[in-house]
Amino acid sequence: MAEIQLRKISKRWGSFVGVDSFDLTIADQEFLVLLGPSGCGKTTTMRMIAGLEDATEGEIWIGDRKVNDLDPKDRDVAMVFQSYGLYPHINVYENIRFPLKVRKADPATHDERVMKAAEMVELTDFLHRKPAELSGGQRQRVALARAIVRKPSVFLMDEPLSNLDAKLRVSTRAQIKNLSHELKVTTVYVTHDQIEAMTLADRVVVMKQGIVQQVGTPTDIYDMPANTFVASFIGSPAMNLMEGVIEGGTFRGKNVEISGLQASDGEVTLGFRAEDAEVADGNGQVNAPLYTIELLGDATMLTVRAGGQLVSVKAHKEFRAEIGDMVSFSVPTDICHLFDTATGARIGAS
Amino acid sequence: MSTPKAMRQSLGLRLGSAGFLAFWCLIAAFPIFWITVMSFKSPVDAFATNPLEVIFGPRTRAGGDGLSIIDIVLGLLVLWWSGKFAMGRLPEMVARFTQPGTVLLGWIIAVVGFAVAFIVLFFAILPVVLSGLNAIAGPLGNPILGLTTVHYQSVWVENEFYRNFINSLIVTTGVVTVSLTVGTLAGYGLARSGSNLAFWLLILALIFRALPHSVLVAGYLPVFINSSEILRPIFGDAAPTLYGQPYAVIAVLVAINQPFTIWMLRSFFHNIPTELDEAARVDGCSHFQAFRRVIMPVMWPGVITTGLFSFLLGYNDFLVTSLLLDAQNQTMVPAIAGYFNRETTTTDQVEAIAAAVSITAPLFLLVMVFQRQIVSGLTAGAVKG
Repeated sequence: MAEIQLRKISKRWGSFVGVDSFDLTIADQEFLVLLGPSGCGKTTTMRMIAGLEDATEGEIWIGDRKVNDLDPKDRDVAMVFQSYGLYPHINVYENIRFPLKVRKADPATHDERVMKAAEMVELTDFLHRKPAELSGGQRQRVALARAIVRKPSVFLMDEPLSNLDAKLRVSTRAQIKNLSHELKVTTVYVTHDQIEAMTLADRVVVMKQGIVQQVGTPTDIYDMPANTFVASFIGSPAMNLMEGVIEGGTFRGKNVEISGLQASDGEVTLGFRAEDAEVADGNGQVNAPLYTIELLGDATMLTVRAGGQLVSVKAHKEFRAEIGDMVSFSVPTDICHLFDTATGARIGAS
Repeated sequence: MSTPKAMRQSLGLRLGSAGFLAFWCLIAAFPIFWITVMSFKSPVDAFATNPLEVIFGPRTRAGGDGLSIIDIVLGLLVLWWSGKFAMGRLPEMVARFTQPGTVLLGWIIAVVGFAVAFIVLFFAILPVVLSGLNAIAGPLGNPILGLTTVHYQSVWVENEFYRNFINSLIVTTGVVTVSLTVGTLAGYGLARSGSNLAFWLLILALIFRALPHSVLVAGYLPVFINSSEILRPIFGDAAPTLYGQPYAVIAVLVAINQPFTIWMLRSFFHNIPTELDEAARVDGCSHFQAFRRVIMPVMWPGVITTGLFSFLLGYNDFLVTSLLLDAQNQTMVPAIAGYFNRETTTTDQVEAIAAAVSITAPLFLLVMVFQRQIVSGLTAGAVKG
């Protein structure tokens, strides 16, 4: 059981910055998700924690040990790789047992521990197969079992679900959440899928180009995105962002006019979530011809052009209109998020 | 199993490829078949102008050495049955009687046991049984195919060809061991290194590979001849003259072969995902343990394929071995050349042919034993976790 401290760690290759001055304390037993688009440094950060990559600067502490100069094997971590990293020449049982064998755990306990780990991921029927004879989801579970067979102080998971099909991803996600709850081990999980981050995390770290954008609970980053990048990355669909100008508390942009905002004058980006706004009868704040209409089953998604961007609103599932019809959305001020257009940073508390 | 439509070939294409295959078999396999036939005949038959005489060997038969129909049928039956046993029952029995961990020992015992049983059956029991059968079988017992093993006897026993065989064994074992040890370590290191130096090392290796072999021999020759003087400061009076010794040949052949093995093994290692190394490292292996416990087992097909190529180089080499070895250390290939170079009678030539046929036998055996690994090694790239 351990807390992880990352003290201003950086990773540079020549002049290229992979991770820039990452500073974070991950609490004991916390489930932390590193989220960001590819190339944002999330995997590099995890590999530095695992010891597969050296930190150019800064210190990494696991528990009360500084681990910068320790080999991966001495850091007491277990890792699940994106393409699983299973050993193809030995069967599932031996794969799961491998960490125990290498670390010379008491041989008498091996069988019991392997069976327990296999049970937890429901693999007991496949123990004598080779990895090549397993499906993707089963391989994924072998990798999980191999990680949990030895109680490490930290779990590291590098996009473990990205090679699975959509349906399997949902069920394995649930399994991972349940496992981490049961095992009570500090977990760092890397993903580019914001839904995984929202569903699994105690806290999410959103990264972009090696720089941390926001650290917070899933609710925090969903409801109070720190900047336009986070706002546009989190949520499905992402937050609507309209460009315009505020004058005397009124936001104006193409096809949009919202008054009653408490902000100083200047160029801003105004954001709101599709599910927070409603369709109004011609007297809403956004008025524009319909760009497209999508039937989702549980709702109807309406999209118009406003403030220089495509803006979507969720309407009732029986709402129908033709493309080109004028529609009106009501966007109350209490659902609006304001961002500085130049820097992208959040303005005020709204 | 039917061929998918996309892969089905037109009649013309099939006839063409079958024809080409047949032509290629004729070109490549016929000489081997023919010298095998020749090596069992008396010299007059072997060099007869009528091909049928070469095959049936009337003069060999007249000399008292021949096979009757019963001999041929029974002999082929025993051969076929032994082959079937070796391919089918033997692995089954090994699997049944060995504990995990002693599989290698089990195989050694099985192979040695099988070889002894086969030799006793084929060379001791069968001739006795057959001579009895031939005597009572009437016309079926009359020899129709001339066949004599006298040339093999004179090659292996009188001319002491087994000495050359042992020398070949020493040289090839040395070459394969050194090449593979250095090659796997270097190949792994180079495959996993991203540095510029690794790239230039590989280019350098390629240049050395391109050098004519005679350049290396010429470069080494003075050193080997004077090696006792050069090594005296280290070994004192016991310093050896390397010229004429198998070690010298091993050194030169390794120098010739090493660039190739490094390149080949590097590409095999390259196909193994680095994730395997990393998983092993996180699971508790040191660098070397990860190599030994995870990477090497996955690499076996590659190592065996590369090892086979190294073996062939050492086994078939003529230039280096003929230039650097003295008479009593000579390997098989230059020894065979020696047969032809002598004042030759036709008997000498047939003996040379018998020796040539003898040296192909180990190759067949080797390829047959390792065929699965060689195929998966040659078609590698499919090492998926």
